[in-house]
Amino acid sequence: MQDGVVLTKVDEFLSWGRKNSLWPMTFGLACCAIEMMATGANKYDLERFGCGAFMATPRRADLMIVAGTVTLKMATRVRTLWEQMAEPKYVISMGSCANKGGPYWQHGYHVLKGVDEVVPVDVYVPGCPPRPEALIEGIMTLQKKIASERLLRKKWIKHVG
Amino acid sequence: MLDELCQEIKLKFPASQAVLHNPPENVGSPSIEIEAKSLREVALYLRDDCKYKFSVLQVISGVDYLEYFEVCYMLANFDLARSYEFILKVKVSDRVNPVLDSVADIWPAANWQERECFDMLGIEFKGHPDLRRILCPEDWQGFPLRKDYVAAKYYNGMQVYPDHKMNLEERSFIINSKSKQEELQKQSLAKGL
Repeated sequence: MQDGVVLTKVDEFLSWGRKNSLWPMTFGLACCAIEMMATGANKYDLERFGCGAFMATPRRADLMIVAGTVTLKMATRVRTLWEQMAEPKYVISMGSCANKGGPYWQHGYHVLKGVDEVVPVDVYVPGCPPRPEALIEGIMTLQKKIASERLLRKKWIKHVG
Repeated sequence: MLDELCQEIKLKFPASQAVLHNPPENVGSPSIEIEAKSLREVALYLRDDCKYKFSVLQVISGVDYLEYFEVCYMLANFDLARSYEFILKVKVSDRVNPVLDSVADIWPAANWQERECFDMLGIEFKGHPDLRRILCPEDWQGFPLRKDYVAAKYYNGMQVYPDHKMNLEERSFIINSKSKQEELQKQSLAKGL
């Protein structure tokens, strides 16, 4: 009897399931996307975290990794893609450009100074571009955030604690 | 080879006023400069009739020299025996309404290159089949590679330089850094004396 029983809270069980089945969107903007692809490939293997199923449509994805320079022309598209994703949705800003404009910060007339100007960002991953380990750490940070969420409250609050 | 070619162009098209520019001390590449109005006939001659037959247009680049624009055509032929390449330069002196003949029907590669030149510098290519912006959004204001371009404050409701993200002290430092450098140089000189 003892071996067949696991005790947990429903809240935590739901969060555990959600955090281990994050589906990112197939979406890359610049050189950071190459590192993101490397992270998804067999050497770094994002699938270990249940995060390797890159969805080809925003409607099936619940994580957007903004990997690369967000130009002003692209920013409106990024916003549209984010709006098309179903709740609950999360955004990782990967690399200096997506964080704060990167090398285009001073004179980039065409670059948005950080993707958080158009979409809310959950985790920032610094680097130019970040190594796959850094992106994995970003995803693990996001997983910790998701694990602390309480889905069964009357008013669902994102990122409690 | 370019001396000979320049002489030929000058003989065939006296209106082109072809001039050969040799770079000082062999830095950079030699180029032939011609008048804007005879661009098309010279281009056709270079492609079909001249000895080298420059069948490939590698790139078109526009340059803003403050008083005038210059458009450079980098031409090449890839003959098996001996390949040649050189730069054909055209000056566009009207800076307010710069207009130049299109060569998109002579070298199809010029199509997108001329669109880029139009996008960045605002040079209008007469006779181009589809002269639209190629890199910037369609509703973009101004031509970014012009020296007198001032970056927009807003685009589609997005702030280009948000105040809360700009390190204003650093910006002023960069602006003043030249005078500061001069000051430091003076100080070090005074110390040395």
